[in-house]
Amino acid sequence: MSGLLTIPLLWAQAGGATAPNAAAAAPAPPTLNISPQWIPALKWLYLSGDPTFTTPDLQGAVLTWLKALSLLCLIGWIVSWLVIGIKERVVGQGKWFDYIGVAALVLTPISMMLRVLESVKRIPIFSIAGVRTTAIVFFLCVACYIIWIEIALARSVRRSGKKLDGLVIIALHVALVFGLVMGIVLQRIGFLALVLPIPPNFKLTWREGLIYGVRLSGTFMGYFVFLRVLTICLKEIVGVRARRLYSIARLSIYEANRRMWAPWVVLTVFLLVLAFTHWFLQPPRAAEMGRLYVGTLTLLCSILLTVMVTILTPLSLPTDIQQQTIYTVVSKPTRRLELIWGRMIGYMTLVTVLVVVFGGISLAYLWRTVRTTIDNTYAAAEKAKKENRLTEYKLLMEQADQLSTRMSARVPVKGSLSFLDSRGVPHAMGIDVGQDQSMKEPRSHIEGATPSAAIWSFGIVPDPFTPPGRPPIPLDRRIPVSSFLHEGTVESALDKVYNLQAQIDADKATKNQPNLPASRVSQLDASIARNEDELKRARAEYDTLLKKVDDLRTQAAKAQAEGNTAEVKRLREEAALHSSPDILVEMSFNVYRTTKGRVGDPVFAEITARNPRTGREYLGDVFAIKEYYTNRVKLPPWLLAGSNGALRVEIRCMSPTQYLGMAESDLYLLLPPGTFGWNYMKGLFGIWLQAMVLTAIGVCAGTFLSWPVALLTTIFFFVAGQLAFAFLVDFSRQAIMGGGPFESLIRLLTHDNQMSDITPTAGVVLAKTLDSLVMPLMSMLVYVVPNFQALDLSNMVADGYMVSWQTLGVDSLLALAYALPFSLLGYLILKNREVAA
Amino acid sequence: MNPNTNQRKKIIYALAIVILFGGMFRYSAWLTKLKRDKDLGEAAIGQVDAGSFMMKLFLLGGFRGIVADILWLRAEENKRDHDWDRLKTNVELITKLQPHFLSIWTFQGWNLAYNVSVEWDAPEDKYEWIKQGIKFVQEGVEKNRHSPDLVWDSAWFYYHKLGFADEAIILRRLFRDDEEYGFKTYLDPETSQPVVGDDNFKLGYGWFSRAVGMVDRGENRLLSGTSDEIQYVDATPQKKGRPDDIAFRSMPAHGQTRYAAAVEKMSVYGVPARFGEFAKNEWAGALREWVKLGSHPYMSHNEIPRNGKLERDEIRIDDSTDPERYNKLNDNQKYWTARWADQMNYRYWKDRCRAEMTDQGVKARSLFYDGTVAYKTGDFVTAAAKFKEGLQVWKHLLDEFPAYRDDELNKKDTGLIASRYLRVLKQLGDNSAQDFPFKDLAALVQNDKTPDPFDVLEMLGVVNDPTAQSAPAARPSTAPAQPAAKK
Repeated sequence: MSGLLTIPLLWAQAGGATAPNAAAAAPAPPTLNISPQWIPALKWLYLSGDPTFTTPDLQGAVLTWLKALSLLCLIGWIVSWLVIGIKERVVGQGKWFDYIGVAALVLTPISMMLRVLESVKRIPIFSIAGVRTTAIVFFLCVACYIIWIEIALARSVRRSGKKLDGLVIIALHVALVFGLVMGIVLQRIGFLALVLPIPPNFKLTWREGLIYGVRLSGTFMGYFVFLRVLTICLKEIVGVRARRLYSIARLSIYEANRRMWAPWVVLTVFLLVLAFTHWFLQPPRAAEMGRLYVGTLTLLCSILLTVMVTILTPLSLPTDIQQQTIYTVVSKPTRRLELIWGRMIGYMTLVTVLVVVFGGISLAYLWRTVRTTIDNTYAAAEKAKKENRLTEYKLLMEQADQLSTRMSARVPVKGSLSFLDSRGVPHAMGIDVGQDQSMKEPRSHIEGATPSAAIWSFGIVPDPFTPPGRPPIPLDRRIPVSSFLHEGTVESALDKVYNLQAQIDADKATKNQPNLPASRVSQLDASIARNEDELKRARAEYDTLLKKVDDLRTQAAKAQAEGNTAEVKRLREEAALHSSPDILVEMSFNVYRTTKGRVGDPVFAEITARNPRTGREYLGDVFAIKEYYTNRVKLPPWLLAGSNGALRVEIRCMSPTQYLGMAESDLYLLLPPGTFGWNYMKGLFGIWLQAMVLTAIGVCAGTFLSWPVALLTTIFFFVAGQLAFAFLVDFSRQAIMGGGPFESLIRLLTHDNQMSDITPTAGVVLAKTLDSLVMPLMSMLVYVVPNFQALDLSNMVADGYMVSWQTLGVDSLLALAYALPFSLLGYLILKNREVAA
Repeated sequence: MNPNTNQRKKIIYALAIVILFGGMFRYSAWLTKLKRDKDLGEAAIGQVDAGSFMMKLFLLGGFRGIVADILWLRAEENKRDHDWDRLKTNVELITKLQPHFLSIWTFQGWNLAYNVSVEWDAPEDKYEWIKQGIKFVQEGVEKNRHSPDLVWDSAWFYYHKLGFADEAIILRRLFRDDEEYGFKTYLDPETSQPVVGDDNFKLGYGWFSRAVGMVDRGENRLLSGTSDEIQYVDATPQKKGRPDDIAFRSMPAHGQTRYAAAVEKMSVYGVPARFGEFAKNEWAGALREWVKLGSHPYMSHNEIPRNGKLERDEIRIDDSTDPERYNKLNDNQKYWTARWADQMNYRYWKDRCRAEMTDQGVKARSLFYDGTVAYKTGDFVTAAAKFKEGLQVWKHLLDEFPAYRDDELNKKDTGLIASRYLRVLKQLGDNSAQDFPFKDLAALVQNDKTPDPFDVLEMLGVVNDPTAQSAPAARPSTAPAQPAAKK
């Protein structure tokens, strides 16, 4: 359900960032004229029905995947029955209904061309009874298609289908009617107005209801077909046996080794490139060396492995079929699905071994090169210090620190960012100083020497981008307090005291409420008594620890006065055992200067932190901002005691007339870091997942294409997913300037730029018509092309951040979401192919 | 298959291979000779790079243009995302693919030295990126040894980016402290020996001279003579160093003059000015450079019909400073000499060097410097005395060099001193309308929006330790170290 809370997020996207204080002036949100108990059910219905609507969590992702898959199944199922119908000669034989089909085919380009002519104003807009003629032609065309498909499906299924297929046809009609009715109902009760990103004064009519009804019907129909496909596959999946998979996998490994020497070739190339890295890669500034080398090495692993898989997998099945060796396999009691999955397992075993080998070698290489650079930079810094070149010393130290930071696996705890402007008024965004906003994470700025501040809030905090007039959307940004306050330390004991006190106060407040049943009151009394006992114990423990630490510190101070350094060290270490370490805050802000100021002087910032539950404050540290470097500040651990994960960190710019820029991920608390090597291997797992998806595609393509075509198909998927995914997404949203492929071709040939309106000549009209026919089909490709960039974790590793298990889990699911359907598609094709008949 | 047939086939293939290799050997020997004769090989254009060669081999030649384009787009994206180090890596990969495409070196070298450096806030980081930019262009020089363009670009970055930035005096200090001697080496134009310089203007002077020398030798992207026989499909235009480009040829003189002027100011953060014989020598060097420029023969742009032929006249702009020689010229020569001397402000520069290299010139500068130091440290009595004496010496000297005295550049320069003197008098409460030389020039600089960075910054760090940075005091933490538990 948590995902459903975020439905109104769409409002934020539609309206842009709005200040929370502007809420009062905003129009009242639309209301539903339906009993509230229905609302959750309706939300679910809409979420599972509209293909483009989703929530930003796992459940939303799984549902989107199911919806996309179901729609693909629906299209595939209908097309396959139509093809069967034509092959079996039950349609397309010149009967009356075939003429309707032909009419639909003829009407399609005509309807598109009329639309284009209207849009470029070559013809006036004609209307019949208030409806535009182009719309009439379009609906006529759709109606013809529906009639022909209905008849063709019914005849084909009656001739060659099973009983279950007949049931599917009935279910499709039920789903169609249900979806349409629901669309109208949702519009009537005002639900659509609530979820759609429309302007507040826009009135939705039954037409919009019908359009959204069609979208819902499509998905619901898809679900039925998906179920049908599942029944076909399930039987096969249940029948899969490990030993047969093992044999096929072993065979694939032998084959890869014998036939192409693939793993050895890849390994040799890897070693060769590694030996001559300095030919291609100049060592950059010391600070960036680790990032560059890690990035390059993971890129190399990625290229080598994916290219190996791309070439290896689509060749295997077609060669078997061509050389007729497949007969010996399929004539044995091996299932077709086992042929596919076995091959995938075989190739992935190879990839696994190579990933481990590459990882080991890369780590050794990084250790040798980067570690040496870190040591050398520190040595150079020391030398500069000795020679009194202090500026250079500082620079070198910072570079060495930066490099060491990048070669670790930091675990950041991120908060939610909001701003105060120069008059202290809260805003979701700071000042835009006119920097390019198309960069990865655009910065908002605060003004120096004014009340302007950037505030990072931790805990359960309201989303600063909550649209005006809506209840605030809660974000979970709690700090894992137990990871910062170690058990058995003063701060941890203090935390316990605060928490028990808070619990007692809460219970007392509940108890004071009127009309509380007697049983509840006695329950609360018991709880209060128990907690008060506990509180006494906790407080005693805290006092003992505090006294102990104070004593140790006093003794240390005394020893220092006596000059006993060894004793001071021992006492301080012992005191440190009883207190939690400082909380490290890392920041990287950018500086925007309106004047040069005093040349050479940095811009200064101030950090303050407040625990909102206990009201305890840490006031201040002023530090110089070093642009593009990580600034570090330590917060005292007692700040987190009793916070329950909540904290408010404020940054102010101290230098007048200068601005500081920041984005949400520019400040975070740092948990103890993990191991770099382990993190690097996690990064390589991303490459492993990419290889898995490609293997599935390669094997699937091999089931029905000859090897050269299968190879090209796999290469296409590889290139499209790796390089062109962002372009494809823009393409599917039709967000690319200059029109579709045909219009772009005309622009290319006539040297017209993307912005200019081109004269609507006959050629242009034709191109636009062809585009409007082709674009919807090509847009569908986005659902099929895997997003390899999303599986790429190398940047995170190279920047020195820990790859969390959650990220790995989500990525694995994403990879499976592509690999599974492709492998099953391969199975379905292989099943229907007459391989060994 | 018959084993004999198989055997025979193998022998035929082996023979074919041997014959082809034999043929190739002869052919490649001929090709190498031709390349050597025409000076066309990779090694003739510049240094051979193994990485570059391998990348070109892998990308099979034809694709490298596409790959270079993609990398260029990536570099632009990196720039947008402020990912400077990736930008540099991508740019370096482009140069591996197309090392003899001069625009990439010029464009991206400029990008690093100017556009990337400006995005960094700390002067040390700015310096680091300017250095990266200069080294990048110098790598281009290594790969294209006969191109004066890239040599000129290196010189310009040393001269202009390090020497004219707002942070110039800090950048010049960082340059002075730089321990990478290769980066500070230039070929002395007189001895042709490598010299390690501590001043960016000196480096600029050395590299400018090298570019001029190359043009004088007729060098182009390829060696002279060869380029005439080659028809480029898409030739890279040579932007700098046409033999008749006076502005190009004047840069060594500008570099040396700027150096001589910088020596007499605190133009390097925390390093005091130098005077005496050292300063005089540097000004004498600057004069030599200007005279060298003035004595170079240029051909007039127009052609005059004489003796039945169309003739061009030889022009030497130095003639403009010697009335005797000038009067001997024909009208056409007089016209071009005067025009080009005006265009270069030649008389001012030559006169300035002649004036500054005298004992009086150096003395006046020394007094101005001492006066300014005293002024900035609050010792107004000393400052007033130094300025007063200095301005008198200066007046006396400039009377002998009217071309220098009456030039706008000098008026602004001297006006600054006069205005400082006025301010010192004001501090001393001396409001009497005391008259002193060049008092009228002080008004010129009152509203000057384009002051010389050295004049603005030269006294930064006279008092402070040059390497220490001041920070506002940290606010004391008001939170208790060990708080008491909530009651």
